[in-house]
Amino acid sequence: MRKEIFRMERVSYQENGIMMLEDFNLNVMEGEIMGFLPVNSYGMSAFLRLLKTNLSLEDGHIYYHEELINSWKESRRNNNRITVIQNRSCLVEGMTVADNIFVLRQGFKKNLIQPAVLRKQLEPFLQDIGVNISADAYVEKLSAFERILVELLKGIVAGHRLIVLCETSTLISGDELRKLHHIMHHYAGQGYAFLYIGSHYEDILQICDRAVLMSNGRIEKVLQPREMFAENLLCAQEYDKMVRGYLNDKRNNVKLGKQACAFYGEIPLMKDPLRFQVLQGECIAIQCLNNRIYHDMCQILLEEEQAFHWHLSMEDRGEKIQGNRKAAVIQEQCTHTMLFPELNYMDNLCFNLDKRMKNVWLTGNIRKSIRQEYGKILGEDVFATPIDELHERQKYQLVYSRILLQKPKVVFCIQPFKGADMQHRMLIWELLEQFLERGIAVVILAVNLADTLSLADRLICLDKGKAQKEYSREDFASIPVLAPWLYLYREEKREKE
Amino acid sequence: MEQIKRFVKKFRFISYRVAFLYMVIVIFMMLQIGYQFHLLVQGLAPLWPLITMTLATVLFLLYVFGRIAAPYQRSEKFVRRFLDGYVMTDFKEYQLPLLTPNTEMQLEKMEQIFHSPKVFDLNKRQAQYLALQNQINPHFLYNTLESIRSEALIAGLDSVADMTEALATFFRYTISKVENLVSVEEELENCKTYFRIQQYRFGSRLQMHIDYREEEWEEIIHCRIPKLTLQPILENSIIHGTELKIGTGNLRIQFERTERRLIIRISDDGIGMDENTLLELNKKLRKDSSAVSYQQSETKGGIALANVNNRIHLIFGEEYGMHVYSIEGEGTDVEIVLPAIMSDREIKNRGIFQ
Repeated sequence: MRKEIFRMERVSYQENGIMMLEDFNLNVMEGEIMGFLPVNSYGMSAFLRLLKTNLSLEDGHIYYHEELINSWKESRRNNNRITVIQNRSCLVEGMTVADNIFVLRQGFKKNLIQPAVLRKQLEPFLQDIGVNISADAYVEKLSAFERILVELLKGIVAGHRLIVLCETSTLISGDELRKLHHIMHHYAGQGYAFLYIGSHYEDILQICDRAVLMSNGRIEKVLQPREMFAENLLCAQEYDKMVRGYLNDKRNNVKLGKQACAFYGEIPLMKDPLRFQVLQGECIAIQCLNNRIYHDMCQILLEEEQAFHWHLSMEDRGEKIQGNRKAAVIQEQCTHTMLFPELNYMDNLCFNLDKRMKNVWLTGNIRKSIRQEYGKILGEDVFATPIDELHERQKYQLVYSRILLQKPKVVFCIQPFKGADMQHRMLIWELLEQFLERGIAVVILAVNLADTLSLADRLICLDKGKAQKEYSREDFASIPVLAPWLYLYREEKREKE
Repeated sequence: MEQIKRFVKKFRFISYRVAFLYMVIVIFMMLQIGYQFHLLVQGLAPLWPLITMTLATVLFLLYVFGRIAAPYQRSEKFVRRFLDGYVMTDFKEYQLPLLTPNTEMQLEKMEQIFHSPKVFDLNKRQAQYLALQNQINPHFLYNTLESIRSEALIAGLDSVADMTEALATFFRYTISKVENLVSVEEELENCKTYFRIQQYRFGSRLQMHIDYREEEWEEIIHCRIPKLTLQPILENSIIHGTELKIGTGNLRIQFERTERRLIIRISDDGIGMDENTLLELNKKLRKDSSAVSYQQSETKGGIALANVNNRIHLIFGEEYGMHVYSIEGEGTDVEIVLPAIMSDREIKNRGIFQ
């Protein structure tokens, strides 16, 4: 008989009078990897807060190890013995890996800390999962993958039986993800339970035993092991249909223009310099298999001061990326990083128009006509809404519309799908497709391929100490990693054969 | 003006008057602290009256918050839920703060009413009504069905005989079996009988699967559950789910056993339901739709599920019950969570039906 590790029974939870979770049911069994797919992000943060702390409930009961820990009758506001691993590290910077795992543990009573003892204590845990992380390394020096593993080990050492992994696939590369899956299976075999939260159903279907589908703060469906197929997800079917349609169109009528830009960059960790050309209306995905390389690439795109040499040329002229209106950069989690709450919607929208339309800030007529044109697409009401009060969808539309208005030759997107739920992924995909349709070249920089393969014409893989590896669309089927949308290319290959 | 009117209107309630009184006391104490502080600065008074006054105010506030305001809020939450129609089964468990000894007696009386066998019987009978729709003399019914079966056998109509036998078995279980709790095995057998009858209507268009983990099965079949828990839901799945679907309909009964719970999931791949209907249905299941408030639920539909859920609440408490998951066009899952009860002794220990 299996033990139930965690159960939420008809939980309703309010924040500031707004119902965040309603009639919420979830149960995770011992040794189970339970998938959690949020169709939209409504109620997601409230759910994570409830996992960590026993907050006051409007209705329902929460059980851990089949013991009642929170109910509408009584909420103790204490923390639960559940580890939640998110985008942001919960490790204490300035302390070593061993300190974070052992010293900050609840119930650690030693007054004298002996690093050698801690090192020895940590060793079997690291050996157990076949990972080599220095016990004395400071946590701020760790890579994203190592940080996730340290947080995981911290939970295991603390005796937490439920470990929640939230959107980890967007932080680490395909190889690291495979290793993480292996480690999860290892601990699941020892009776630990995992709740694997991710917007990429392909990930969830790959690793999880069961999965739940959350929408608007409610669990819509529980997928049983026999139902773990994309066909059982209505939202996935819709997305699948959209991508298939696009790929069929692309196959039948390839319309790539002349060269939009050429890039040359000396990336310190790579064997040879990175070199690629991108054509108008072409989409290139650059997958960084090493986090340092990813940070170096981000630095090239975002920072003025550069530690190494790189060169971008357009129309045979050397160009800068920063402040250049012919090139645009869409940053990671753009709805947080690329909007200015102190400005109104119209100002946010026309922000990059200064070079294209010099009088945009002097004459109201240009802005009026922009409003007329974009009002039909974005909705009239958004222009009167403060930026903070916009929905996530409207924020995405604003950022991408700003770029469309700017009309650059090339758009660099840094992990565009990161942190986006299912519905927003589809929206981002559509918006990127609009860029391509208008002949704008798109270069997607990613750690994890996520949805990029569905749009990309070429894939460039960058790894430490190696030369760049390039795959064309025809070669996608033979990519040796498990990535979303690969199945479409493999299906196509099978059909051809 | 309107605000003043509203404020005066609220003064009809003692709670508002008490809150107002506390506010006046706190303001008075704060003024006293200010006055003492002023005297201290002027050098007209020593320090100890200020310290004493501050301490007294802090203690007073702590007492008011911890012993009066917080319990009062808990009590308000309870009353609000009761008025919202939530099921309240064990009043003592809530440890409500009591205003007077009479309030305590009032709560005890309410508990007696809600736990009275009449309420439970009323709910049970509703289930039988739902199954039969009419009160029929059982013996007359069994004899008639037996006669039809004999006639069918003589005439060589084996399928008619089999169907009649299934119908008789089904009615015998539904009407004549008097126990409130039955084993999963018996309940499942009744489901199979019911399904056999339905298969004569739907043929191969309807399939039923039973899922369980082999190692748990022995324990699952001996678990005790309220009689007529599964069949009404199965019936619902057929009528509202698979019957309206084009092509083969699949019904699935899945059993899962944990240390303390028995989880039963009845799924269909029928037409499902839209979000609003699902919301309404789950809301109804969350709240009280007992015989006492039956009139209300009858007008809004979903009686069978509400009835089963209500009986579970009455027998085992509000921690257990039912939840429905559904996606339009995809199908519906009904999940029932029950305590894992294996023997009569456990029933007695839990104080069920006492």
